[in-house]
Amino acid sequence: MPARLFLQADQPWVDWGWLSTHVPYVWAAVEQHLELTVIAVVVGLALALVLGVLAHVWRPLRFPVLTLFGAFYTIPSIALFAILIPITGLSGTSAEIPLIGYNVLILVRNVMVGLDSVPTDVLDAADGMGYRRLARLMSVEIPLAMPAIFAGLRVAVVSTIGIVTITAVIGLGGLGQLILRGLIQDFRTPLVIATVLCIVIALFSDLLLAGVQRLVVPWARNA
Amino acid sequence: MTRIKRSRWLVMAVAAAALVIAACGGSPTPGTTSKGTLTVGGFNFPESDILAQLYGQALAHAGYDVKYKLDLGTRAVVVPALKSGQIDLYPGYAASELEYLNKGKGEATPDAAATTDKLNTYLKDLSAQALTPSAAFDGNAYAVTKATAAKYSLTKLSDLAPVASQLVFGAGPECKTYKFCLPGLMSVYGLHFKNTLTLDTDGPATRAAFKNGTIQVGLVFSTDADLDQLGLVVLQDDMHMIAADNVVPVIRTAAATDPVKSLLNKVDAGLTTTDLFTMNGKVSLQHQDADAVAKEYLVAHNYFA
Amino acid sequence: MSVGDLWRWLTDPANWQGSDGIPTRLGEQVHVSVEAMLIGAAIALPLGITLGHYGRFGNLAINISNVGRAVPSFGIIVIAFLALGLGDWPIVLALTALAIPPMVTNSYVAMREVDADIKEAARGMGYRELAQVLRVELPLAVPLIMAGVRTSAVQVVATATLAAVVAGGGFGRYIVDGLARSDYPRLVAGALLVAALALATELLLAGLQRLLVPRGIRLLSAPVSHRVTAAKVA
Repeated sequence: MPARLFLQADQPWVDWGWLSTHVPYVWAAVEQHLELTVIAVVVGLALALVLGVLAHVWRPLRFPVLTLFGAFYTIPSIALFAILIPITGLSGTSAEIPLIGYNVLILVRNVMVGLDSVPTDVLDAADGMGYRRLARLMSVEIPLAMPAIFAGLRVAVVSTIGIVTITAVIGLGGLGQLILRGLIQDFRTPLVIATVLCIVIALFSDLLLAGVQRLVVPWARNA
Repeated sequence: MTRIKRSRWLVMAVAAAALVIAACGGSPTPGTTSKGTLTVGGFNFPESDILAQLYGQALAHAGYDVKYKLDLGTRAVVVPALKSGQIDLYPGYAASELEYLNKGKGEATPDAAATTDKLNTYLKDLSAQALTPSAAFDGNAYAVTKATAAKYSLTKLSDLAPVASQLVFGAGPECKTYKFCLPGLMSVYGLHFKNTLTLDTDGPATRAAFKNGTIQVGLVFSTDADLDQLGLVVLQDDMHMIAADNVVPVIRTAAATDPVKSLLNKVDAGLTTTDLFTMNGKVSLQHQDADAVAKEYLVAHNYFA
Repeated sequence: MSVGDLWRWLTDPANWQGSDGIPTRLGEQVHVSVEAMLIGAAIALPLGITLGHYGRFGNLAINISNVGRAVPSFGIIVIAFLALGLGDWPIVLALTALAIPPMVTNSYVAMREVDADIKEAARGMGYRELAQVLRVELPLAVPLIMAGVRTSAVQVVATATLAAVVAGGGFGRYIVDGLARSDYPRLVAGALLVAALALATELLLAGLQRLLVPRGIRLLSAPVSHRVTAAKVA
């Protein structure tokens, strides 16, 4: 298996000179990337919470929710973005629909697991203290489900950051635009910078969420 | 029971709000009144980026609010985007646009003006129009490595006829159905290759395939600047299969006001094939940014004077 | 595109033969996925199991899957292509890199989860190191290890789709070509075929897991946060 070095074999993997003159360009890509990610995670979480709670309260909803979003999950993102072009155009919406859908699956599973894991004696005690259903849900069950929800949130965020790069095929992409440029122009620098930045941003977000989790659910430190 | 302290909810709410605000922070400041917004689209190869920037920057300089949607893909993505209004204009190539819209009927000729007129009859159905074609031309070209050319004494495409069955051909996904690609090679030159590989349209995969000998004949574009450096040589289109692929702005009629049209035609009028070649070189070989290269050209030709 | 168009595409015999036919593309996708999984497992499983047995480098082993998930698969595949050119090997290498982290983490956690009492009992019974690992710890660890293998396999199969962006084969070819030609039946067919393949992979490995897990051993429950959740990477 000979390793065939591609065209410009003497091209450095990172041209620091290029980077120093292109900080605004890279930063604009990072901004778009973050924007796409945050919307996907926030909306995904909101939907997952609603669906998860509903499915927790009303058992029969579980199977359809998990099956529907589970099926969606198996479809490769590049295909979904492409399929949506004639429907929602070359827009953020075409990017967000699949991203949100994937996040809903990841998060709704964790919401359900989290709510399921609340010990029954805790629920009994809450009932005994006079909590009504909704109050018990909001003040007892969801807080106790937080560790599981956070675990899911961390996976969702990291996962989304990676998939956002693929939205470059519909003209978006954030850092994916740099990867695409690297491919089309055989230019390694933007490609490497974008890949490294994705990793850094994902890891940083993961740590950030771990930190937020510590603040919000201090009683569950096992994450 | 364990209740989340109000202060913790506050922290979470603030954190969430901060994230959302930060993400939405990039909203454009409403500046002085612009003459309108135009979105320029482009295909996914460097020359299209450059041309889109040429049009876009000229329009921006004239006071229009210009947005870009570049590297969208092939005609199959760009033309529907124009039709649905997601882009207002894109830099087209007269003959190729015509043969795409007429589903390969073969109406394009080497006459740029006639081809563009025919093109306009089809664009009417999309509520769009093509403006005045430029002298600048960039059409499909078929290259072989210098070694292959030497081995079989190839200088023109008809030289390939006797040896095509020993050679592998590589092009993009749309080549099999695109008039100036495989169908044309087969019908005009009678070429039947040993095998046809789907790589990309004049992109890195095609170049890589040349380099490691996977293909011997490949699709490139006539204004590609990196061919010589890659050891590739273009075979002459001696039977004139390629028609008038002159650069021409394709614009939605709704956006085609007289000032816009005359501005775009002015840019096109000054553009030559050599210009394309030179600008491509700066982007492909020197990795300069398409927008910087376009700006340099516009400044040098006094569009910003 | 209508469902009828899609059905026609899927049932057209021309699409079931030749170099662009479904069996060929299936073979291509399976080929690179299997190679990547075999190489990945050969590296990841012994590594994770050994580290887990001795309890060393725990933080690394657990966090490597975080890092692995953080790597954008699109970027890695393009890097592999620009570095190594056309062909299967760049794709396999990129996919192997993506396959390793979940298997390392799950193997590590699986071995750590084995009850210390059981390990002590085995030692007390005279098992030496390797025998203890093979005959006592591993059978108990298999469920979680297999969960890691399943996660990796599904991720690899899905990511192999992206190979088409760098002129690779597989079902991704239908997606990329479909987009390039606005051939929606092809595009949607490609999407469904990948989904079906991913599902089949999951089911196959679930069946394999059922075979491998000795009776009487229930699925160990590691804390949700330590268990590697299948992330979407492509």
